[in-house]
Amino acid sequence: MSHAFFRSIFRVLPLLLVLSPVNSSSCTMGNKTTEIRVKYENILSHDIEELVNISAEYRDRCCKNKRHEHNKVFFCNDTQEIESLQSMACNMLKFFNKQKINKEFRRKAALVSCGTLQVLQCKCGRHKKEKVCMQVNAPNNEDTETVEQLKKKCNQEFCELKENISSLRSCWNKFEKIISR
Amino acid sequence: MQGGLHTKHRTMAVPGASLVPILLLGLGIRLAAAHSPAGVECILFNEEYMTCTWGSGQTLTANYSLYYWYENRSPVAECKQYLWERGVRTGCRFEQSEIIQFQPFHVRVNASQDGRILEIPSNRMELQNLVKPEAPVNLTIRNMSSNQLQLTWSSPYPKAHCLEHVVKYKSNKDTSWMKQEVKGDIFSFPSVDYEKFYTFYVRSKINNYCGSTQLWSEWSVPVFWGSNTTSKGRSSPEPPGSPRHPHTVLTVSPWLFAGMAEEQLQWFWIHTVLIPIASCLLLLVLVVLLVRMERVWVIIMPRIPNPNKNFDDLFITHNGDFQEWVGVPKDVVESFKPNYSESICHVSELPYEPLQDSIHPPGVPGPQEHGPYKNSYVGA
Repeated sequence: MSHAFFRSIFRVLPLLLVLSPVNSSSCTMGNKTTEIRVKYENILSHDIEELVNISAEYRDRCCKNKRHEHNKVFFCNDTQEIESLQSMACNMLKFFNKQKINKEFRRKAALVSCGTLQVLQCKCGRHKKEKVCMQVNAPNNEDTETVEQLKKKCNQEFCELKENISSLRSCWNKFEKIISR
Repeated sequence: MQGGLHTKHRTMAVPGASLVPILLLGLGIRLAAAHSPAGVECILFNEEYMTCTWGSGQTLTANYSLYYWYENRSPVAECKQYLWERGVRTGCRFEQSEIIQFQPFHVRVNASQDGRILEIPSNRMELQNLVKPEAPVNLTIRNMSSNQLQLTWSSPYPKAHCLEHVVKYKSNKDTSWMKQEVKGDIFSFPSVDYEKFYTFYVRSKINNYCGSTQLWSEWSVPVFWGSNTTSKGRSSPEPPGSPRHPHTVLTVSPWLFAGMAEEQLQWFWIHTVLIPIASCLLLLVLVVLLVRMERVWVIIMPRIPNPNKNFDDLFITHNGDFQEWVGVPKDVVESFKPNYSESICHVSELPYEPLQDSIHPPGVPGPQEHGPYKNSYVGA
């Protein structure tokens, strides 16, 4: 009687493992490259460009020595560009609550992350960082710092975010080039 | 004693020891300043090959070696194909198989001379941002309806969707070029003048969707449209309302283009320099002639007539007597006087009396007292 029970369990468990979507991507726009391209070119690329321009106003030597050591490195893997973009966008969302970084800059970075996730129809897994996207889209009535004030702040977290932005932009460029063939 | 000697040696050694690093530093600076290249510049030409250069043969004299690697991907490798100029390595050529985009790329150049090696690092590069596409080709003009032209072209770069373009054009009546940014590979010229001769150029760049670069391609070979009486037989004007034909005028070879540019330059010098100078010189000559030659001066600035000498006779000879000078008769002069009076002179006709024949033959007048004029009187 007991070995009949265990035999049934052993049959069911592998079946459950095969059927459960453990390692499948949480992005659902995979094959709709035309739609992705239209949204990226018409909307998202301008936000990314604006964010890159703002981060370029910071003194570049500020982050030269702060690179490499503790930064999480993101690669835009070949044939896995969408997954790479998802990973970068989800990682960028964590900077939204870093108080050492200028608030407006954080907000714009989160906007780009949320835009990326929306275009690719991706989710960020367990931590549900998409709640940040709801806060980002809410109107901001507080005073924001000016660009001049931005230039004074430079810290490790800011340098990480800047690196992340650069990687995200490059990965989008790579994806666009691939789907342009 | 020995301590004193040691002290003396020590004091002598100190200045010598301090000079060595100074000398080494000076040598290093000299090596760096005299032979170090400004920086390494890499360009991907149409994504087919890449060159990384660090100077020219005129300024470099050391022996250079280039090493490169991709971050977190490949080991350090040396350049396989160097570029030479005047016997000095000035760059490195990478084939397509050695190029990986979207991977941080690093380069290090070693300069060695007289046994000393100087490392010249470069910044981290993203090769997708260093792409320089080839110039567009096959420029073609079509006549559309309502005086509109359509310019199309093709690009040797494989991903046309990653390109943005700029069209540069002007007519033979314009003085400056017009530039227009174009996203696709079609440019519409809204209103064309059939009396003018137009020239069009196009160049390309990787757009912001596929990279971040400021490297424009070279300008394309030009294409022309319109009528130009100065350029013989190049094209003929198409009358409006004619059937629509692909009015591909010319794709001109670079040599003809160079000749035309020279001709335009000559005309430019003639119009803007030679003619104004010649006009100014001519004007100057005329002014000088005008001032120096009295005959010319008199024609342009005639003398004002002075009748002064004509009246010398009146004032000197006739003492201001105008009537005498003019020659008016005295009685006419008298008649103009206000107290002038003239006696009346009566004139009558005597009756006719035939005379005796014996005494006086007929037709012979008698003595004066019986003559018809007996009582005639002419008063003075």
